[in-house]
Amino acid sequence: MMSEIQKKVKVHVEKVNKSYGENHVLRDISLDIAENEVVVMIGPSGSGKSTFLRMLNQLETPDNGTIVVDGFDISEKATDINKVRENIGMVFQNFNLFNNYTVLENIMLAPVELGKLDKVAAEKKARELLKTVDLVDKADVSVNSLSGGQKQRIAIARALAMEPDVMLFDEPTSALDPEMVGDVLEVMKNLAESGMTMIIVTHEMGFAKQVADRVVFFEAGKIQESGVPEQVFNAPKNERLQEFLSKVMHA
Amino acid sequence: MKKIVKILIVGVLSLLAFLVTSNNVNAAQTPNYIITTDATYPPFDFQDKNNQYTGIDQEILKTIAKRQGFTYTLKPMSFNAATQSVSSGQADGVIAGMSITDERKAVFDFGTPYYRSGIGWAVKKGSNIKSLSDLKGQTVALKTGTSGADYALSVQKKYGFKVTYFNDSDTLYNDVINGNAQATFGDLPVIQYAVKNGTQLKVMNSKSPIQAGWYGFGVQKGKNAKLLAAFNRGFAEIKKDGTYDKIVAKYLGASATTFTGSKQDNSSVLGILKANNGAFLKGLWQTMLLTILAIILASVWGILLGVMGVSQNAILRSLSTTIIYIFRGLPLMVLAFFIYIGLPGVIGMKIPAFTAGLLTLVLNEGAYTAAFVRGGFAAVDRGQMEASRSLGLSYAKSMRKVIVPQGLKIMMPSFINQFIITLKDTSILSAIGILELTQTGSLIVSRNSQGFRVWAIVAVIYLIVITLLTWLSNWVEKRTRA
Ligand SMILES: Nc1ncnc2c1ncn2[C@@H]1O[C@H](COP(=O)(O)OP(=O)(O)OP(=O)(O)O)[C@@H](O)[C@H]1O
Ligand SMILES: [Mg+2]
Repeated sequence: MMSEIQKKVKVHVEKVNKSYGENHVLRDISLDIAENEVVVMIGPSGSGKSTFLRMLNQLETPDNGTIVVDGFDISEKATDINKVRENIGMVFQNFNLFNNYTVLENIMLAPVELGKLDKVAAEKKARELLKTVDLVDKADVSVNSLSGGQKQRIAIARALAMEPDVMLFDEPTSALDPEMVGDVLEVMKNLAESGMTMIIVTHEMGFAKQVADRVVFFEAGKIQESGVPEQVFNAPKNERLQEFLSKVMHA
Repeated sequence: MKKIVKILIVGVLSLLAFLVTSNNVNAAQTPNYIITTDATYPPFDFQDKNNQYTGIDQEILKTIAKRQGFTYTLKPMSFNAATQSVSSGQADGVIAGMSITDERKAVFDFGTPYYRSGIGWAVKKGSNIKSLSDLKGQTVALKTGTSGADYALSVQKKYGFKVTYFNDSDTLYNDVINGNAQATFGDLPVIQYAVKNGTQLKVMNSKSPIQAGWYGFGVQKGKNAKLLAAFNRGFAEIKKDGTYDKIVAKYLGASATTFTGSKQDNSSVLGILKANNGAFLKGLWQTMLLTILAIILASVWGILLGVMGVSQNAILRSLSTTIIYIFRGLPLMVLAFFIYIGLPGVIGMKIPAFTAGLLTLVLNEGAYTAAFVRGGFAAVDRGQMEASRSLGLSYAKSMRKVIVPQGLKIMMPSFINQFIITLKDTSILSAIGILELTQTGSLIVSRNSQGFRVWAIVAVIYLIVITLLTWLSNWVEKRTRA
């Protein structure tokens, strides 16, 4: 327990609220995530998981509250959000690979454009990353010719090319055919084992049990319960969590 | 990409600077006057078979200029544009078979009246219309802004006819010959000359011109007194020494072929092409130059406006929307007249017709381009921008590297379509006297009355160019679709 507390806090969220018009989507959310921690967020549709995740790299802006990532207060106007984003990788449900570039170019774009690596070094790095996601032979193809599972692995490689120290995943396997899911989860598992700080929204409960250090249950814009997987899955206290689990487990 | 944009912007700016200042350079070398004329008004103003402007007006002007020691640049255009260019200060003087009327005296200072004319009216050869009273319920074709038109309107109620308007004489005559209209009113010598040249009309009052009056050389009221004085001195001289009478006799007494070319030249497509190949080529060149410059500049301007239209800044967005709204809403010809004839009076600087025409095209086509550019960018999946931003790329960089390339691909067919529209729209600029392909066609027809053949030639040339342009665009599109 002591060692947990002493670990460096990577993401600090305090009393964050967000509304879309009348719709109060996030209500007073507070959450700290430590370095190397893997947090899985579960919850019913519309509970605010994506909104929360997207707020961590300011794709959505909170109405109030504080968000500190890597020591940068991104709820502060003066913070250069582009600089902070360089250290936060994000993987989307719909991959969002750049359609106008090849696989290799997708991975190289950000490091080259942001002056992190020169072209030669970026290409070397990209090819290494392709190896880790097991898609070396796809380097020069257009992204439209890839399967969903391949696309998502490339998207992960693209995010990793910036050498982020936090990775956000928003339902990375929800748009995939079932037989593709395993490959993507495999890559994510390896990433977790390598010590990456990860925040993952997913409906893959088996994966959550296996990989998560902590599971967070969202419902109606609130964190209703959180804890280690064994506790959340095997001994849920919150009534809504129990309800939710019985639904997804028996589906 | 950055470099290309920079080069483009520098190129565009220096081109505009050149187009605007090149006129001022001319103005510095005085006295060179800009004189406008009606491009199709034989026997006073027209192009001869060598595509030189000639006619009674032109020879009088040329002779006087030589003797009085001034030079001028002739700007042939429609009669209306010719007079308005002078009244708005775009040009220094107008000689275009213009009748001196009280109304015009309010706007122009006229030189010594130089030709006594009057209004004549004509019907199709073989028509059974015998007198003005037979015009009841019929249509009368008129040339805009002429005294013939004024007169016709003044008696319209009395005789109960309808009117229709044209900008050039030849189209007007053909309208009567084809039976769309039953009669026309115009300056008597002009109609007589056309009839002598084979136009199938019958003049109804050759011996008794209506409202006999005088033609005059005009300058903007209160301006260019020196030019007017020189004209008057020169005119007195040529009147006295008989040169004037010789000029008039030359045009009114000569047989038609003297000016219009032999029958052979005019009775076949090949003959017309041969006799006018220089003119057609020049016209085509102007059309191409306008088209190419307009395509490049309108694309740059349109993309800029389009990018503004999807920007994060609300002010830029509404600015873009407003500009697109205004310039898409204005008819091209109105915009051309506004820039060429209206604007110079306000900004106190002459705008050459070519520059005005190009600006018109760029503003109009640019607005259409901007609209589909905006739509094209908006059609790029939102996730593309989010992915790019999430990697740390700025908005501008994301636009340049991710959104613009994909948007452009979506827009490609619209661009090709717009290029073709631009080419066709250049023909509207004939209205401000740019001697492009359409205006060239008008001039040749006004001389040889071979409307069908000449317009067929012009049409085919347009089709050929449009085909080439389409091929080129498709080729480029294929190349860019990696
Ligand atoms: N841009 C937006 N404008 C308006 N309402 C929005 C917007 N984005 C999300 N919402 C609303 O906010 C609520 C939370 O949405 P969010 O996408 O965060 O849910 P989620 O937990 O990710 O659900 P799912 O599991 O379906 O992805 C929903 O009611 C949604 O309709
Ligand atoms: Mg979601």
